[in-house]
Amino acid sequence: MNTPGEGEVRISAELDIVTVRQEVRQASVALGFRPTDVTRIVTAASELARNVFLYAGTGTMRWRALSVDGNTGIELVFTDSGPGIGDVEQALVPGYTTGRGLGMGLPGAKRLMGEMDIQTALGSGTTVTVRKWQGRW
Amino acid sequence: MSIENISVIKLRGILLVTVPSDPDDETVSALQEQALEAMARYEAKGLVLDITTVQTLDSFFARMMAETVQMVGLMGGRTVVAGMRANVAITATQLGLTLGNALTALDVDQALEMLEKGVVGGWR
Repeated sequence: MNTPGEGEVRISAELDIVTVRQEVRQASVALGFRPTDVTRIVTAASELARNVFLYAGTGTMRWRALSVDGNTGIELVFTDSGPGIGDVEQALVPGYTTGRGLGMGLPGAKRLMGEMDIQTALGSGTTVTVRKWQGRW
Repeated sequence: MSIENISVIKLRGILLVTVPSDPDDETVSALQEQALEAMARYEAKGLVLDITTVQTLDSFFARMMAETVQMVGLMGGRTVVAGMRANVAITATQLGLTLGNALTALDVDQALEMLEKGVVGGWR
């Protein structure tokens, strides 16, 4: 059987958050992640997809399988052309929010995934990349 | 799109609300509304939120549950969140989520017993 190594979901409605969760769940199960890690990855994806929808309205989630030195991982990239994040450091403080969120999404997703990279500037959108590896927490 | 089916059942003066496994935000909001409406209509003494099949508990869902607990409390009732899966509990804790003043139970059976006997305890 051939496991797909990448995929993409467009986010333009609230319901697309569910589609992102389903796509990411399917992908991480197919890649052989443990059930607890699957839940972590899907939950992080849900938070990041909701951020795209809440702050930018539209965007995309792309995922791809990673393989380095025999270690398997998954990478999720959330891209939008929304308002951008003015202060990334501040945005990573638990409880901080400029919107109607809980302020848990970004810092929480980072904790759940392990690796997070944020490319953003005010007025020029945001790209959040997260990675989870099977061998590590 | 359609809101997923939410089941609200009254038994022995307690409301049992079964949460669908992968609800969208609209369904989660509708769930809160229906639960509160039913609390008033049936004059129920408590609410059991059955999340046995729920696979993903994110911050939006957690906030709606915590709010529901708070609102039911203001109406004079108790809420027990029942059946959280181990994976979900681990993830929710790492994410930094809490459920406010919700009581928790391993399953629906235990939750009903807690409300019937008026047992207090659980996750705070």
